[in-house]
Amino acid sequence: MKLPMTIAVRGGRTLLLLLCAAAGTILLVRFAPGFFSDERELDANYAGVVRTDVEAENRQQSLESIAVREVKGWIHGDFGESRQYRVPVAELLGARVRISAWLLLQGIGYGWLLAVGAALPLSAVGKSSIVWGLPFTVLLAVPTAAMATACILADTGGPVLVLSLLIAAREFKFLRSLLEGAWRAPHLMQGRAQGLSGPALIRIHILPNILPQLGALTTLSIVTALGAVIPIEVIFTVPGVGQLAWAAVMNRDLPVLVAVSLLMALVVGLAGLLSTRNIPLEAT
Amino acid sequence: MKKRVPAALLLLLLVTSLGVLWLAPDNYAFQDRDATMAPASVRHWTGTDELGRDRTVRVAAALLIGLTGAAAAAAVTTLIAASFGLLAAFSPAWAAALLLFLGDVFLSLPWLFLLMIARSMLPLTASPLETAIATFLVLAALGWPACARAIYRDASVLRSAEWMIQGRASGLRTGQLIRLHLVPHLRPLLMPQFFICVPAFIVAEANLGALGLGVGEPMPSWGAMLLELDNSALLARSPWVYLPIVLLVVVLLLVESFATEGEANA
Repeated sequence: MKLPMTIAVRGGRTLLLLLCAAAGTILLVRFAPGFFSDERELDANYAGVVRTDVEAENRQQSLESIAVREVKGWIHGDFGESRQYRVPVAELLGARVRISAWLLLQGIGYGWLLAVGAALPLSAVGKSSIVWGLPFTVLLAVPTAAMATACILADTGGPVLVLSLLIAAREFKFLRSLLEGAWRAPHLMQGRAQGLSGPALIRIHILPNILPQLGALTTLSIVTALGAVIPIEVIFTVPGVGQLAWAAVMNRDLPVLVAVSLLMALVVGLAGLLSTRNIPLEAT
Repeated sequence: MKKRVPAALLLLLLVTSLGVLWLAPDNYAFQDRDATMAPASVRHWTGTDELGRDRTVRVAAALLIGLTGAAAAAAVTTLIAASFGLLAAFSPAWAAALLLFLGDVFLSLPWLFLLMIARSMLPLTASPLETAIATFLVLAALGWPACARAIYRDASVLRSAEWMIQGRASGLRTGQLIRLHLVPHLRPLLMPQFFICVPAFIVAEANLGALGLGVGEPMPSWGAMLLELDNSALLARSPWVYLPIVLLVVVLLLVESFATEGEANA
């Protein structure tokens, strides 16, 4: 009885978060001073005409009308019509979601492999000097956009490499400190004294103990990757959700922005749900 | 002790940047049309960009703008987070849950995406100074939720500490309790939060700038200077094009060393 209740509460909370994220995006965009900005405003010859157009559009874009249009789009399943492309948003998202999901999956996967591959041996031998973590510290100090530009300049790697390096740099520090703590646990010393091998210690003692924290770290990875995917897709011209989000932001395409916000909030919410499945609700 | 070396280096960079701006004959926006994409020379120590603007001056200005803007935004965001966390900690349970939920709404979207939406909604006719202020204001306004949660957690624990009960029994009001007892105890948490925010904001500004959503031209910024790397003609002419990115990484490493030490002390 307790489990279904917990699932219902967490599911309800995630749903509420999604609605708030969508409503927040509409409010933020609609009431922003530049929502009705038009590039023609920059030209003094057109400024007057543009003002009239903008005021006419302003009258059609009341908060109620936007909300009604959005809800209609969700019910219809097409998420409304894109302001810049004049096609249903669902059509735009369809193919792009697959591309971005594959990029995220590869980036997070390889990033974790790299981070675990470096953190596990370092934590096991107790090498905690700054020198060993320096490559990751340096990587952390390079903005994603700069890393992507450097890859293009060097004609090496691509979006997956940049995303993997970013994730590895972010997670290495946490993983190393987590694993160092785990290796020092008294029951591990006992296991060692009993002659358990390194892989056996990891499988039997370390992994089960750090699993909840690993879940939380994975959520963090997903949020980091979702943010990073925007500059990466823009710079590498990958036709994914990140590039679509950037184009929507640049063109104040509200239906697309709301749909992307919902999608991102859904991914973060689901990841959060999965990572906290072993933690009591009170603790979250 | 460890802090002194990065602090000294950072100070040296800041003083050098100020010195460059002070001594340079032209300002960062001046276009030397006879020397576009020029290599390093006596007049332009690190060459010029495609509009003939002196790179040394622009890098110095970008460093000052980026660092002061990020530090100011980090101070504001830490203040908002502290107020929010304390308000939640001293509110009834339902109000605290509501406040934390509000923070979670912000956390439910990737930060860069949220920043992009907020930053892009400025009118196109905004001046470069307005865009710079708006960029750092947006960073400050959206950077607090994670930090507020940490402050709420610690403040909730401290709220029921014995010395807080003693203070309450002595007749201290909530405001006095927070000011005299709670804030000094939260300082070890607030300082690292501030130092974590500074490099994060510098990186965010650089990423926003690279997407064309940062500080407006002709004001120099890390992001705008990263865009120079797209110009292959410029890259072929002068290795000094890489100066901004190298300096940016150095600045970030120096600032992050404060954050790391702060985390260790907290």
